Amino acid sequence: MLKTDFLGIKLDNPVMIAAGPWNRDGKGIKESLKAGAGAAVTESIVSDTMLDVRPRISCDEKGAQNIRLYSDIQIEGWEREMSIAKSGGGVVIASVSGHTASEVAYLASKLEKFGADAIELSVSNPAVESLEVVASHADIIYEMTGEIVTAVKIPVIVKLSQNTTNISKVARAVKEAGGSGVTAINTVRGILGVDIEKAEPMLSTYGGISGEYIRPLGLASVATIAQTVDIPICGVGGIAGCRNALEYMMLGATAVQVGTAVMLEGRDVIRKIVQELEIWVQNHNIGALSDIRGKALKNLKSFEEMKFEPAVSHSSGVPCGENCDKCMSACMYGAISRRGDAISVDHASCTGCGLCTFICPANKLKLYL
Amino acid sequence: MNIKQIAEKAGVSVATVSRVLNHPESVAENTRERIQRIIDEEEYTPNWFARGLNFNKTRTIGLVIPHTLNSTYMEIVNGVEEVARQKGYITFVCNMEGDPEIEKKYIDQLVTRRVDGIIMLYSFGLDGGYIRWMKELEMPVVTIGESKIMTEWDSVRVDSREAMAKMTSYMLECGHRKIGFLKGTDPDMETGSMLQGFRNVMKASGIPVEEKLIVDVENNIEGGYIGMKKMIGGSPEPPDAVMATGDEIAYGAMDAIKELEYRIPEDIAVTGFGNDRMSSLMEPKLTTVELPYRKMGIYGARVLFDNIEEKQDKNAKHPAGVIKLQAKSRIRKSCGHEGRIGEMF
Repeated sequence: MLKTDFLGIKLDNPVMIAAGPWNRDGKGIKESLKAGAGAAVTESIVSDTMLDVRPRISCDEKGAQNIRLYSDIQIEGWEREMSIAKSGGGVVIASVSGHTASEVAYLASKLEKFGADAIELSVSNPAVESLEVVASHADIIYEMTGEIVTAVKIPVIVKLSQNTTNISKVARAVKEAGGSGVTAINTVRGILGVDIEKAEPMLSTYGGISGEYIRPLGLASVATIAQTVDIPICGVGGIAGCRNALEYMMLGATAVQVGTAVMLEGRDVIRKIVQELEIWVQNHNIGALSDIRGKALKNLKSFEEMKFEPAVSHSSGVPCGENCDKCMSACMYGAISRRGDAISVDHASCTGCGLCTFICPANKLKLYL
Repeated sequence: MNIKQIAEKAGVSVATVSRVLNHPESVAENTRERIQRIIDEEEYTPNWFARGLNFNKTRTIGLVIPHTLNSTYMEIVNGVEEVARQKGYITFVCNMEGDPEIEKKYIDQLVTRRVDGIIMLYSFGLDGGYIRWMKELEMPVVTIGESKIMTEWDSVRVDSREAMAKMTSYMLECGHRKIGFLKGTDPDMETGSMLQGFRNVMKASGIPVEEKLIVDVENNIEGGYIGMKKMIGGSPEPPDAVMATGDEIAYGAMDAIKELEYRIPEDIAVTGFGNDRMSSLMEPKLTTVELPYRKMGIYGARVLFDNIEEKQDKNAKHPAGVIKLQAKSRIRKSCGHEGRIGEMF
């Protein structure tokens, strides 16, 4: 039921484990696949291993910041790791990163030889490399993608970044250069927080923010790409449950990747997401996931297409035992008041902004004509 | 312990141990790990000489370098040697002392000793007849760095003209106009490219280059010191900035500038090229161009081994053999920039 064709590769399900330290070697990748992931992406493999700074990962309840997470195994060692990774079966996508087209093409061709099923080009790291991330330059992405596509026969996907002013342009460059698909999005440059007693940022340099913080950015990016080019998309950014995976798919993603949730909760989260997804699909009588792919895009309108309807919030006299008064504090138009146990909306003052309908924990407020 | 004893200890055949050593992917994971553990425990190393006779390989490569007293070349050597060691190869490092005749003599020697391949670092140039002879031998060769012979074989390069052009643009952005240039002696072709990159940007910006501010210097600290003194002495007004084709030259220039009681970067800004280890430790920290030296060595060796493997197994088609790597500007205090953000990435 969850079987998915991604770039011509048959996946048992569309939930992959993203590139990261959990997939740092053959053993880790094998574990990821055993946990039920449809595919696993290796930690990004680079031309020369680098010293890791310590600490380099921080987190809070909504997500994480990392400074630089590249493979500490040289390309020569990946011959062995790849054979271990694939020894239990499953699909392995090799993530490669570098500064020039010839460099990444070289790594890709070696990884193809070692058995990778596809290549994911990842030059969208927002930390360390440069103020403008490489993936914000459509011309560089075009050159790099083209050179990898020439060097290998397996599909090539490119991981895109929100740290760009025009993600459409970059996605189009990937397709024009012969890329088979895109992954969106990589982490977004950020600083997770500051220790105000010591006046010190949580990590000592800018990093890539992941997790719940970036999901809205990821969803918008996937939708934008889906409305730009006809190319398979792998959605990534803040997926922690089946619902998030479905959100990405409904905005156009064929498959999804989970990273930060695996880092913070372990690989079991994959098993959970896949099981929930199976149940959801069953309960909704969905024959194939392709039936829901991009389904929410139809309802994503341009500003011009939106109807200007005089809708107002209704709840007049609705008994409300919550007594949280969140709607009253949030109403910027002074339209909501409490009479005893009931919440009342003054229709003359209400402008239909809709905020109260989202803030109410009991879903008591609705917009009506 | 020999291969037979390893096999006995592991309870497998000699052929299986041999496969673990030569084609590990063909051995089941559990077996391979068990045998490898014994190999590691016993610190067993195969008899490479015998192997050479078997496979017509000597498991040696030659690496010809311009100088040994230059730390940047040694970083490249480090990269080559690391890959070679992993492959079970010994590297012969030959120092040509900047003399093309010595370069040829060393190559003759390496061929006589039947090395499996040769890497030439910033070659000073071989003539056509010599190149033809090496090609007839079918000797796998890779060149590292820009040189006259870099298009003859597979190569690993960095575009030094572009890197210096980028740094020159940055100096103009910082407001410097009267810019001096300390051009080192080697690598010959690269320092020429760097000067060209500098001239191109100045011309495109409509800023005249003062020829007396372009000084040829020895490639070391003393060269930079003397060159800088000459430059300041030969001009009524000192330059706003000076750009050197090597970090050591820049160190020497900084020494001279301080001695003449000018301030860096307020009076004279300085940039280097190479990003030697010391450059981020001195005061003020030196703005420079970081070259991926170790990576150049690593790729030189990778491409050489691809060539060696292809020669031995015609089916092992190797990936494209021209690897272009990127230089990166390292903005620090010595160039007189404002705005800390330039230093952050």
